[in-house]
Amino acid sequence: MSSDSKKGYKLEVWVTAICFIIVAITGGFFSSIVVIMNERFFNQVPTPEQLVPFYGESMFVAKEGFLGFPMHYFWLIVLSWIGATLIGAIWCVVMDRLEQQQRL
Amino acid sequence: MEPRGEVFVLGLILSIIVLLISVLISVWARRFTRNLGDYYVAGRSIGAINNGLAMVSLALSLTTFIGLTALIIEGLYIAVAVYASFTAAFIGLLLLAAPYLRRHKSFTTMAFISERYGSNTLRYISVVVMMIVSVLYLAGNLKGIGIVFYFLLGVPEVVGIVVGGLVVTLYVTLGGMYGVTYNQTFQTIVLLFCLMFPVAIVLRTLGASGWAFPPLGYGDMVPLMTQTVPHYFWAMVVHPVVYIAIFLGSFFGIIGLPHFVMRFFTVRDAKEARWSTVLCVFLVGLVNTTVYATGFAAVYYMQTQGVDIPTAAYDYVVFILVEALAGEGWLALAVAGSVAAGLSTVAGLLMIMGAGLIHDLYGAIKPDVDDEKKLKLSYGAMLVVGVLVILFSLNPPEFILEAIMWAFGIAAAGLGVPIVMGIWWKRTNKYGVAAGMIVGSLIAFVSWIMIGYMGMDPVEIPFPIFAKYFYGPLGWIKVTAIAVPISFILTVVVSWLTPAPGEELQRQVDEMHGWSDYDPKRYNGKGLPITVIVLSVVVMWFMTTLYDMFPK
Repeated sequence: MSSDSKKGYKLEVWVTAICFIIVAITGGFFSSIVVIMNERFFNQVPTPEQLVPFYGESMFVAKEGFLGFPMHYFWLIVLSWIGATLIGAIWCVVMDRLEQQQRL
Repeated sequence: MEPRGEVFVLGLILSIIVLLISVLISVWARRFTRNLGDYYVAGRSIGAINNGLAMVSLALSLTTFIGLTALIIEGLYIAVAVYASFTAAFIGLLLLAAPYLRRHKSFTTMAFISERYGSNTLRYISVVVMMIVSVLYLAGNLKGIGIVFYFLLGVPEVVGIVVGGLVVTLYVTLGGMYGVTYNQTFQTIVLLFCLMFPVAIVLRTLGASGWAFPPLGYGDMVPLMTQTVPHYFWAMVVHPVVYIAIFLGSFFGIIGLPHFVMRFFTVRDAKEARWSTVLCVFLVGLVNTTVYATGFAAVYYMQTQGVDIPTAAYDYVVFILVEALAGEGWLALAVAGSVAAGLSTVAGLLMIMGAGLIHDLYGAIKPDVDDEKKLKLSYGAMLVVGVLVILFSLNPPEFILEAIMWAFGIAAAGLGVPIVMGIWWKRTNKYGVAAGMIVGSLIAFVSWIMIGYMGMDPVEIPFPIFAKYFYGPLGWIKVTAIAVPISFILTVVVSWLTPAPGEELQRQVDEMHGWSDYDPKRYNGKGLPITVIVLSVVVMWFMTTLYDMFPK
């Protein structure tokens, strides 16, 4: 493998891996992060005893976020939509350039 | 919801116009089809914008109109989690598969798996997995068209299924992939128009200041909503593995769903494949966030204005809202949009089923048959598949969205894993793939038979070690968090324990990534397989933890 080829290969693999990790978090794992770290997103966190009988009840109020939406909801929809689109676009620009180099 | 007592003339007219235009587009597109490559992959001539728009309508099946809003009313958070994952999954498809598949020059997923691993046996196995996945996905959508006809147009459900099914079969058979592509592009435009505008009117009537942009236009209604329904935005507290399973099903399922993958074989080059996916994810996100707004509007309408919509009618709440708050003209548009959404998905699935049977199955059994004969057979096969699916759809699985989620799980374990590993790890061989795809897809499929079809309680299915952890709301989704990791583990371990594939097979990996030369060290390290195994084991182990913390 020539040094240019090696550089291109590493760039492709690392940029893809990083973009995949980011999009996996924004589009996939963020919903479970909200559940795991719910005290960050809600004002009152249920105790395990409350959780079963009062599952989904009114004591759990979401913190205010942006444009009037609760913080977790806003980020969930924006990250999985605009965030994912931007990550895809950035990756495409990098791969377009790499493809040009491969052709040289 | 009671069916309409009379025929909804305006809605019926608009729906018939959509159906007629679809057939006309196919008749027009037929002139471009001269050979088998034109018929199956539109001569690989489709541009990024056209392909991106076609992918949108393929992605937005009828569940967008009649399944998602019902799910939102019953539990906003899980609905948004599922669709957020589904939207972002297109970027997973982009990063891991789309441009590479385009460079491979196959016609279908099944051909890719067979050629990449040098095995006809894998071709047959993948055809079987494809048929299972496609039938599950397809029957629900065709049934949905029947439901739309029945409840909204006053036309018997059977008529809807038969008419909708025949129209799709006709235009797929006639126009091949050219007809399907141009139809899907047309249907995306119809769908965007017919969803965005009525929902904007609904939000305006309810008093949202940002009604002109439904996805983020109802923030000022949130305070009243949280006063009336304080738990509306509360996260559904189930074991986090449920959400991880949704991620695995979405990201690897979309790569494994052959009708999505087939779209990438139709574009001009890898660059067009890439940018078409970016356009697709933007528009899919736009529609999905609009549907979240619809679900919000429905709950807001019921809770703040004292309107009672029975649970059985939640599936049709988009139409109920539009009729009540926007009027019959907008309702007619929404109905036409939903018919377009159903047709486009069914068309894509019929296309891949016909291609799978003739190109992949018959073509492999009788390799000497020339392309001209295959083309003629393809017309016949498409027609037969269409009719069979119509018959099956008369009595399909009841809950459309659930059947589709199972399809995603089976596709992820059975087809998604072999595609991803085949692109990113040269050492993957046919033995590893056979073990992974057979065991992975069987775990998901047999679980669907027991839970989804026979109605067994997930914790009581005979699944050693793990069955007791399939508890809680949507506990059955956790099956995907077993099937996909096991598929990955078996693929890697068995590949390592058996001989490496020959150079001609490994060379394909470099070619797919755009390299003109071959280097055995590229895509052949130990980092990826070890990471895959470790993450897979961690996901399965995680499911067995925190047992006492979540509701059963």
